[in-house]
Amino acid sequence: MRKSTIGLLVASLLVFILCASPAVMAAEKVKIGALFPFSGPLALLGQESFNGATVAADIINEKGGLWGKQIEWVKGDGVDPKKAMTECERLISVEGMKLIFGTYSSSRSYAASGVAERNKVIYWEQGAIADPITERGFKYLFRTCPRAGQFGTMAVNFAKEVLAPTLKLDPKAMKVAVMFEDSLYGTTVGSNAAKHAMAMGMNVVATDSYSHKTVDLSPVVMRFKARKPDVIIATSYLQDGLLFWRQAKEANLNVKAFIGTGACHGMPDWAKTFGEEANYIFNIDPAIGINPDVLNAKTKAILKEFREKFNKKFGHFPATHASLGFVGGSVLFEEVLPRAGSLDPEAIRKAALQVDIPKGSTIFGFGVKFAPPAHPAAGQNLLAHPALMQWQEKRMVVVYPVEFGMKKPLIPLPTWEQRGKGETSFVK
Amino acid sequence: MSTAVLQLIINGLLLGGIYALISIGLTLIFGVVEIINFAHGEFLMLSMYASYWLFQLYGVDPYVSLFVVIPAFFAIGWAVQRIIIQPIIHAPPLNQIFATVGMSLVLQNAALFFWKADYRTVRTAYSTVSFSGLMISTPRLVAFVFALAIIAALLIFLKRTYTGKAIRALAQEKRAAMLMGIDIYRMYKIAFGIGIACVGAAGAILIPIYYAFPTVGAMFVLIAFVVVILGGYNSLVGALIGGLIIGMVEAFSGFFLSPHLKEAVYFVIFILILLLRPAGLFGRA
Repeated sequence: MRKSTIGLLVASLLVFILCASPAVMAAEKVKIGALFPFSGPLALLGQESFNGATVAADIINEKGGLWGKQIEWVKGDGVDPKKAMTECERLISVEGMKLIFGTYSSSRSYAASGVAERNKVIYWEQGAIADPITERGFKYLFRTCPRAGQFGTMAVNFAKEVLAPTLKLDPKAMKVAVMFEDSLYGTTVGSNAAKHAMAMGMNVVATDSYSHKTVDLSPVVMRFKARKPDVIIATSYLQDGLLFWRQAKEANLNVKAFIGTGACHGMPDWAKTFGEEANYIFNIDPAIGINPDVLNAKTKAILKEFREKFNKKFGHFPATHASLGFVGGSVLFEEVLPRAGSLDPEAIRKAALQVDIPKGSTIFGFGVKFAPPAHPAAGQNLLAHPALMQWQEKRMVVVYPVEFGMKKPLIPLPTWEQRGKGETSFVK
Repeated sequence: MSTAVLQLIINGLLLGGIYALISIGLTLIFGVVEIINFAHGEFLMLSMYASYWLFQLYGVDPYVSLFVVIPAFFAIGWAVQRIIIQPIIHAPPLNQIFATVGMSLVLQNAALFFWKADYRTVRTAYSTVSFSGLMISTPRLVAFVFALAIIAALLIFLKRTYTGKAIRALAQEKRAAMLMGIDIYRMYKIAFGIGIACVGAAGAILIPIYYAFPTVGAMFVLIAFVVVILGGYNSLVGALIGGLIIGMVEAFSGFFLSPHLKEAVYFVIFILILLLRPAGLFGRA
């Protein structure tokens, strides 16, 4: 009898706590919507981007939180662009979010940010790079990362300024092939690279796009073999990038330089799959491994803290996507929200437009200044830019722009046969 | 003929071999059990993971892992037929679709839960054979030869053995087969088991070429359906020819037209064939 009475008491107490606590807790949290592809084909990088942002939130939370409250994420799963829209709608209307943080994938970001704009809710983009996202004159959209167009332009500039003189080629005689997956991301980067190369008077011998869901890329490989480019500029997601490299090896396709523009060619999974054979490949991405002389003292300390915390939480050191998530998060939490004082979208807008931090104050080395609504790229961080890296001895090393560079680029790319034997003969 | 065209033919045939390989199991299940197995791609995904883990944990070569994967997937197929398909075998088609689509979602998300979204692949020493300027990838050649061998073995099994004849009888006329004293539920289990064992073998053969991740099945399953319908629903030779046609169309249209149009081209051909021969190339109307 007594036992059951005590049991009943404990049970009712438990029920009371369980019912009461969410209400109490909710009052003490700053809730932010996190919209990423958490499942489906893009889940890997979506999750990684979000992981970086959670570390930025953890750092603030450990210091006592924002305005004395802890930051809490409310997740939405943007499996595809349509789902990203409905999830954004849900986060705003059902969960009551005033701020959506996302999205990594350009096509999902493009779709979902429209929903946020209609609802006058802030959409904070940390990693989707397609240019059109900030070309719609949106007032509530802000983007911390560089734009895709810059990736294509940088690849061509590097080919002209560094590759051509090293290979003793006239830039106008240089044969360039461009390949890209045909979603919004690949199309923006790839067509921009092709356009810029033509504007520079280079000989663009192929511009080939394909679906990243394909199971065969031998047609692309064969077309390149037939046209013998000196340089390939490629925009691929991981699955198609892996496939292209396997098939390029099968067909013994050799070029003098290969420049990837983000996603696949910057990923540890890609390098792990190809081991030694990943060496000498160039990749353009926002880079954390830049020459530390570019960073200011405070940023150096933040970078160290981020790397340690991330490694402790997730068991590996952060790569590009996690770092983009971190920068998106820390600009928001350290610079914008404290200034805004609340989650009111108008206050956040005003605060974001006031941010003006110089070169060297993010872990990527670039500064932050958002374009005002009248600007053709409204909401874009105008100071953001990527860097060009090369895989050297299975590590990514920044080589361009020169002041950001850690080492000299190794040129040309050895043939498959030489790479198999470990032979190299670079132009000094 | 120039080397480029010869190389395209080789690429097309080898790709077609892969398509045929993944379609054999689907054709068999479709033809005999008369179930549209929407979870077909997920069984391919599971077997890719199986041979990946056998390689990673025990150093088993993917081709050697066939000796483990084939019996294991036969058993899985048998169990799935007994537990999931048998209760709904006489149910309306809509219910059957729900069951197999549901199975596909569960398997996909279970894989995501257990193995995360990472892309996993094995690096084997198998490489490319060069033959007077033509490149033939060894793992792709293996896939092609294995597809032919498996079709030949299945044809012999279906034509020569009692069980095979019983399965064919079942595919032709269920009620008559039952009246002749054939244990149809046992035959269903055997047919489903063989179908899943075939796609299991395909996964082990494809892991040196592709990579395992939770939604890898979706990349292949659409093509497998096209191949099966093109081939005539329940014809193994049809699946082979259908696979080769699509492989060739992809190789040529990708090279001469544009790589991003190759899917569009084979779907147009697919629609044309369905308009002209609704029962597929080798199907009986």
